[in-house]
This record gives sequence, C-alpha cells and structure tokens, in this order.
Amino acid sequence: MEFLRMFSGDLINGIILGAVYGLMTMGLSLIFGVLKVVNVGHGAFIMVGAFIAYWMFTLFGLPPLLSAILALIVGIALGFFFYYVVMKWLLEAPELSTLLATFAIGIFLAEVAKAVWGPDYRGYSWNVGSLNLGVTTIPMAKVYALLSSIVIAVALYLWFKKTRAGNALRGVVEDKEGARVCGINVEGYYALSFAIGIGLTVMSGVFITLFVPVGINPYMGEVYTIKAFVIAVLGGLASPWGAFFGGFIFGLVENGSYAILGLIPGVEPFSLTQCLAFAILLVLLLLKPEGLLGKK
Amino acid sequence: MNKGKYYPLFVAIGIFLVLFIFGKFAQGMWEPVALIMFYVAVGEAFNVFLGFTGYVNFGYVVFMGLGSYGMALVVSSSSMAGLGPWILIPGFLFAAIMAGILAAGVGAIALRLRGAYFAIATIGVNQGVKFFIEGAKIWGGSEGIIISKPLKVALGPHLANAVTTFWADFLVFMIAILAAVITIVFLHTRLGYGLIALREDEDAARVMGVNTTKYKNIAFLVSSILAALVGATAWCLKTTYVFPDDVFALSYTVDAIVIVMMGGTGTLLGPVVGGLIYGILKYWLGILLPGFQLLILAPFIIIIIILFPEGIVGVLKKRVRGKKLEKFIA
Amino acid sequence: MKGGKVKLVLIALVTACMVFPFSFSAMAALPGKVVIGGPISLSGKFAKEGQQSVWGIKAMEKWVNATLGGVKIKGKKIPVAYKYYDDESKKEVVTNLMERLITKDKVKFTLAPYSSGLTLAAAPIVEKYGVLYNSHGGASNRIFEQGFSFIVQTLSPASEYQTGPLEMIKKIDPSAKRVAFLFQDNEFARAVAKGAEAKAKKLGFKVVFNRTYPKSARDLTPVLTELKNAKADILIGGGHFADGQLLAKQLDDMGINLKLVSILVAPTLPNFYQALGTMAESYMAPGQWGIGAKYSPAAAKKEGIPYFGPTQKEFMKYFLKESKGVKPDYHGAEAAAAFLAYVKAIDAANSLDPKVVRKVMNKLHFMTFFGDWKIDPKTGMQIAHKMVVLQWQGKKLQIVWPPAAQTSKPFYPMLTIKQRKAGKLAIVK
Repeated sequence: MEFLRMFSGDLINGIILGAVYGLMTMGLSLIFGVLKVVNVGHGAFIMVGAFIAYWMFTLFGLPPLLSAILALIVGIALGFFFYYVVMKWLLEAPELSTLLATFAIGIFLAEVAKAVWGPDYRGYSWNVGSLNLGVTTIPMAKVYALLSSIVIAVALYLWFKKTRAGNALRGVVEDKEGARVCGINVEGYYALSFAIGIGLTVMSGVFITLFVPVGINPYMGEVYTIKAFVIAVLGGLASPWGAFFGGFIFGLVENGSYAILGLIPGVEPFSLTQCLAFAILLVLLLLKPEGLLGKK
Repeated sequence: MNKGKYYPLFVAIGIFLVLFIFGKFAQGMWEPVALIMFYVAVGEAFNVFLGFTGYVNFGYVVFMGLGSYGMALVVSSSSMAGLGPWILIPGFLFAAIMAGILAAGVGAIALRLRGAYFAIATIGVNQGVKFFIEGAKIWGGSEGIIISKPLKVALGPHLANAVTTFWADFLVFMIAILAAVITIVFLHTRLGYGLIALREDEDAARVMGVNTTKYKNIAFLVSSILAALVGATAWCLKTTYVFPDDVFALSYTVDAIVIVMMGGTGTLLGPVVGGLIYGILKYWLGILLPGFQLLILAPFIIIIIILFPEGIVGVLKKRVRGKKLEKFIA
Repeated sequence: MKGGKVKLVLIALVTACMVFPFSFSAMAALPGKVVIGGPISLSGKFAKEGQQSVWGIKAMEKWVNATLGGVKIKGKKIPVAYKYYDDESKKEVVTNLMERLITKDKVKFTLAPYSSGLTLAAAPIVEKYGVLYNSHGGASNRIFEQGFSFIVQTLSPASEYQTGPLEMIKKIDPSAKRVAFLFQDNEFARAVAKGAEAKAKKLGFKVVFNRTYPKSARDLTPVLTELKNAKADILIGGGHFADGQLLAKQLDDMGINLKLVSILVAPTLPNFYQALGTMAESYMAPGQWGIGAKYSPAAAKKEGIPYFGPTQKEFMKYFLKESKGVKPDYHGAEAAAAFLAYVKAIDAANSLDPKVVRKVMNKLHFMTFFGDWKIDPKTGMQIAHKMVVLQWQGKKLQIVWPPAAQTSKPFYPMLTIKQRKAGKLAIVK
C-alpha cells in the first residue's frame, strides 16, 4: 500500500515533469523538422528564458505567466537575428556546419550571460499556493506549468493545421522543392520557423522556472540540451507533437521508475532512473528507428 | 602502388616532429604542445569514423571514458603492480577491449539508424553508461578511481611522475601517428573507397555491392578503439584520476567535432590543422583574456565555418588541385 | 575573387595567432616580486567559486603589500604578486596553465585550482617542477592519500563538512536520533557523506535513510516522497549550488517538516535567501568560514598561537573593494587564507626555496581571519582548521556552531513550513 502510494505520487509528478520536458523540446523539433539543423545551443536559449522570468519577477514583480509572452517575443527576435547573421550562410554547407554554428551560438550566449549577470545561481519564489492530491502535494506553479504547456502545444498544433502559414510550412517540411515550385517562399519560412523555434525554446525557459525556480545561472542549459535531444528523438525528431509526447514518456520513466528501482538493494536508484530513461530510448530506436511519431 | 599517395602522411608526421622538438626543448612548452596533440589525436580518431562515413558519433566521449576506466582498473589492481612499467601494456589492452566490446554492441544496434537519429542514440549510450556506473556503483561509482598512488607503487615515484608528465603525452603522439597511418590506409584501400561511396549515398553504395554494414562497423570500431587509447593515456595516465562526471562529459565530443570541421572532414591533415588551431587559440586566449576567452572563441568558430564550410584543409585541397602541392595535401 | 582574398587574410591571421603566443612568452615574468599564483576557473561549472577565489586572493595581495610591504627575506621586503589564468573548469587546460605559471611566470608557490579533480590533475606538474602546491578548493581526503610531497591544504577536508551539525544536535537535543542522508551523487558529496556516516555511527545516531540524487536530476520528488516516509528528525545532504536550492525548495513543496536540515554549499550564499525568501529561514549549512567569524588576535592569544594577516574587518574591507560590493562567501575566504599561509610561511622560513618553506610549514601553527592553520607533516592535510555551522536567522547568515565561534545560538528545531510561509523569522530569543 505504501509502495502504491509512492508510485502513484511519482507518476503524477512524472506527468508534470514530462509536460515541461515536452514543451522545452518542441522548439528543437520544429527547427530540425524544417531546417534539418540540430540546435546544440538549445539549452542556452532556455537559460535566456529562465533569466527573463527571473528578472521580470524580481525587478518588476511580473508573474512568470506574463513574462512568458515577453520571452516569446525576445526569443523570436533572437531567432531572426541568429538566422540572418549566422544560419542563412550555412544552408548549403555540410550538415555538421550548422551543428557547430549552433554550438558556438550556445557558448556565446552563455558567456554573454556570465559577463552581464555574473556566474551566480539565482532563484525566485512565486507563491501561489499548492494542491493537495492525497498521495502527493503539488505547488500551483507546477500546475500552471502543466496547463500552459498543454495550451501552447494545442495552439501550435492548430496554427500548423488551420492557418495558411502553417500549411505552407508543412509543405516545406514535406517537400522543399515541391513547395518552391508552388511559389512558396522557402527561405522566408526557414527564417520564420527558426525564429518560432527559438521563441518557443526561450518561452519554455520561463515555464521551466515554474517547475524549478532555483539554480538559474549561465551554464544551466547543458542538462536540458541533452534531455531535449533524447526526447526529440523519442518523439520522432521532426515532429513537435511527437516531442511533446516524448517528453511525457521521459518524465514518466524518470520519476515513475524510482520506486521500483528502489527495491534493488545496494544501488543508487535515482541514478539508475536516468540510466533507464536513456536505455528506453535505445530500445525504442531498435524497434522503431524513426521514433514514436516519426514517418518513414 | 604510387608512393606519392603517402606524402600527406609525411607532412603530418613532420608537423608532429616539429611540435615534439619545440615542446621538448622550449622551456615550459611541453604542456601546451601536449594539449595541442591531445586535440589532434581526439580529432583524428573522431575523423576516422565521421570523415569516412558522414555519421556523427555524438557519444564518442563514452569510448574515451571507457578507455580511461580500462587503464585505471588495471593500474589500480594490486595483482598487476608487480609488472612495473609493463603494466601499461595490459592497461592499453584492457582499454581497447572494453571500448571494442561496447563499440561492437553499439555498432550492431545503432548503426542501423541514420543521420541525427544515430547521433542522438549515441548520446543515449554515453549517458546510459555513465548513469549505470554511478547507479550500480561499479568501479567506485560516482567516486571514480584515483590512480596516483597505485601508479607510484607500481613504478616508483620518480618514474610515475615521468609517466604522468612526459610519457603519457609522448604516447598521445604515438596514437596520433597511428591514427594518421590508419587514415591514409583508409584513404587508399577498398575499404576507404567503399566508405566514401557510402558517405556520398548509402543506398546507392549498397546497390553497387558495397557491404555497407561491415564497412561502417569497421570504421566505428577503429575510431572507438583509438578514442579509448587517447582516453587511457591523456586522461587516466596524465591526470591520474577518473571521475564519471568528468570522463563522460559530452563537451569533449563537441571539441572533436569543432576540430574536425575546422580542419576538414575526411582528410588526413584536417584534424591536425584543426587541432593546432583549436589548441593554440584556447591556450593563447586563456592567457590573454582570462575569463573571456570563450566569448572570443565562439564568434571565431562561426566565422571559420562560414568562410571555410569544408574546413581549412578541404578548401586548400580544392585550391591546389592540379598544382605541385597537390600530392602533399589530403 | 573577393572571397578568396578574405580567406587568404584569414589564413594569415590564423598563422599569426599560432606564432604570436610563443614569441611574447618570454616577457611574462614579474621581476622583483614574489609571485604566487595558479589556474582558477572563471568560466565553466566552477566559475562562481573561481570568481570568489580571485577576489579573495587579490584582496590579500593588496593587503600584504599595503600593510606588510610584502614578504620579508633576510631583512629585505619583497612585494608579492598574484598571477592567475582561467582554466575553464577543464582538466586538460589546468595542466598547461600550471606549467606556464611555473616556468614562464616563475611561480614557486602555486595555488591549486578549484575542485578535487582539477587539484589532482595539476599535482603531477607541480611535483615535476618541485614547487609548492596549496589547496584551497580541493577538499577530498583522497588527494592526501596519494603520496604527494609538495601539497598542503588550507581548508578542512571533505570528511569534516557535515560532522558539525551532528555534534551540535547531540548536544542540544539528545532525543533527536533519526538522521537521513541525501547527497548528490558525485565525488565531493560522497566524501562528505562518508565522513558524516562515520560520525553519526560514533555518536549513536540511527541512519533511517541514505540515498543520493544525480547531478542531472531536475525533480527530486521521487526521492523526497521516500524520505517523507522515513520519518527522520534530521536531514544532512546536498552537493552544490543549484541542487541545494532545489532540495530546500522541494522539501518545502512536499511538506516535509524536519527538526534540522543542513545542506552543503547552497545555503552559504546570499542568493539562497534571495531565491527562497523567508522559506530559507532556519536552514543550516556547513561552512569553512562565515561573515562575523570570531577568529581574532585576541582569540589567537587565548589559544596560545600567533595571529597573522588582516582582521575580519580588514578582510571585509579589502574584499568588498575587489568585488565591488559582492559579499565574500567561504570560497573567497579559503582562497585568501591559502595566500596568507604562503606569506606567513615564507616569512617564517626566511627563504624562497619551496623545499625550505615546505619544511617550515610542518611546524607552523597560526591563526588567520579564516581560522587555524596547521598541517599534518606527512601528508600536508589540514588538521587544525575547524568548520563552522551556518544558519539563516532573521535574514542573516549566522554562525551557530561551534560555541566558541558563535555569532548567535542555534535556532532549533527549525521553523515549520507553515510558520515560514507565514513569514516568521528564525530569531533566537
């Protein structure tokens, strides 16, 4: 009984964690889907979002849900900037060039953040009460993070499926040359999707602080980069919704397996949960090489 | 066989020789030279797989890490202490075997994947191995292994210090030469031609009768074992400790990618040039602008990739085509 | 072809970059000064500690030259200088910066980089050149089991970090017996955990929970759910900055009330309070030093040992000038103390020969603003310096243990989550 209580509590927390993971990965998948660029600097953009949430809250008392909008705007601006300054020149270059360029962008952002804000570890407290579910207690901030993640995912889905721009973008993803022939400005959509991808990523940084409102510092992104990569592949890499589901799986495995692994004597179950999460990726790729929602 | 094919190898070895002499005889320059050679060797080993197949082994560092564990396990086991300096031989062997087994396993599973899926699957391997060591508490778990004392016991304090401060780096030179030789062999044999065909168009190569799976696996295995040897010496022997958090840091894979890309993928001299530039830049910027060197390095990398999308050696190769210099650059 | 020209210019630039560092390398040494220095992390994962260390050491360089005029060798005063490079928190960079410092900058008294790993990485180079090596950020006891002859330690070793809270609780509440350990899964935290476990056993505590969490975990709820069921009185744990803040945050989120929580590193920084607000009240942390520490010339006299270096007030003054107002935490203080230890030892040895100075160090026992300094002659490990226990009380970080160093009595048991949420401050009456 005790075990079941713990287990169900872990699963609930896993779902919330998964939602945040999913949200932070959607931007990565979008960029990969359209530009075939693996954004190695992904975590640095998350860091920017986290700092936006932090500064807006501590300086102006702006609640994170509002600074998310600001983060989206800043992110889109950053996206356009880096697209036209860097990425645009590398579209015809070998695949790896873009990987390196995004890596360098990531370092650059982290170092600028360090130069401007210092290497301190910061945090803020947004007290909005908590929700008691019996098996576990969840701060409301996390509930908001969960709800906003779902709203954003649905909004993005609708934008893709229902609007003209979204349709055109889908065309670019599926058949670049075909889209060009149809008179779609492919390069314009590259820029747009890079900007939206970065915008989403920076915004997800704000929601990450709802989940982990502490430890905000210039180098915080690395962990998220690695996790986002894996989640993106779980979900099929080119599909933002796949990424969203991948996030849930990853979160559930990370948290849900703890109680079970804890039954093994003489090990560190928490480290093993992380091991298991990556092992599941490998097994899944073995069974379905294109990821969960990936298409052949 | 045309002897001229091997000229680029002489160029590479010539560069190593100059570096060696400079490091040995210029005061206080051995360590910087060792850093450069570390980058060169890491780049070369990485290039053997990336350069010939086009696959990015993002979890590359796992093999360097396992290599350093292999060496550390042998050196720290008391049953081997009687071997004296010969202890390094089983050390390297064990490093190579451990990496080889993992590479064979990963190769069999992950090499069926393409492009970014493969790259990220290998990240999964790296993280999985790291967390397994920590979680299952094997090989000291998160505490890792410190070999400073066992090395002194096995070799005596004087020789042990010579190993950590000179011979470990010397061995990196040897590995770099070995990797260069392997690269040139790859460039001029059936295996290499097959791999390059595979890099250009894997499906077409298979249709043409290239055994792509076998070739990919061979390149992957060779690259991984070279990485393990570098890890065994440049990390384990040189720094005398192996902490899982440290030896499975993905930033080293990124270092390798930077080096290979700056120099030029699939070329022999690419990683050499890339390693030289990267090592010297890091050293120089770290001294001139402590704390701000990465701020300068990042835009520099971007500029290089935009101007030399195929790497410095790649662009150079195109420029000298048909000229006398051609046979020296590959 | 315009692009071609740009490329040629770039090739020329790159070549220049390659030759340049070697050509001007000869001019680096500082003549007429005793140079003390080392690689330190100004970027990468130890950037925060590294920055504090640099401020602390620079402050002491200024103090020594301004007050003492430098070190005194055979009646002549020679000013001291501090030289450092940024090691990016990376092991392969540390070795070559260390060699440069020794050979080019003529540093005979080196300061170790931050962290046990980096300290180990540079040790062989130091050994090769026969210079001294003073560790101010490498706490692991294992460093000193490796048989290095030139290494000395200024801070207390890792095994000592979390023993203070246990000693304290034994004194003030013998009924609190159930202790839980929850450390980060890394080398440093494990060494701390080992020391704490041994101490708990010795003092008769009952260990009811003993787990770790990995560095990459961003949600500690699974392990905390389990902890909640263990019904512990005391929690001893932590690892580094970010995870320590997270641990405190989630303990409160999950409604886990304990009588005492002592977390490594994180709570010793002002940012801990900034991040958590009044929820940070009554959290404890071990520290190598804390603002307001009682080490003074008078305290030294009482102990019968000499006092060296600035007073607490002077240290604060010099430090704040370097840091432009950022308060020192113990990383800054321990680095400063390492620098002072060199100055003191060189003075006492009346020599600049590292071998002579190392020998003299064996016999030294003195006090600085950072506390006692005395090493084990054989290993060089610090044996006299005492850790303190710090606690957030009424928005201020107070030293609550040991009694001799107290700036305030311990606030025990810690405030409940409800009280802290209501904004209650932990003020000892």
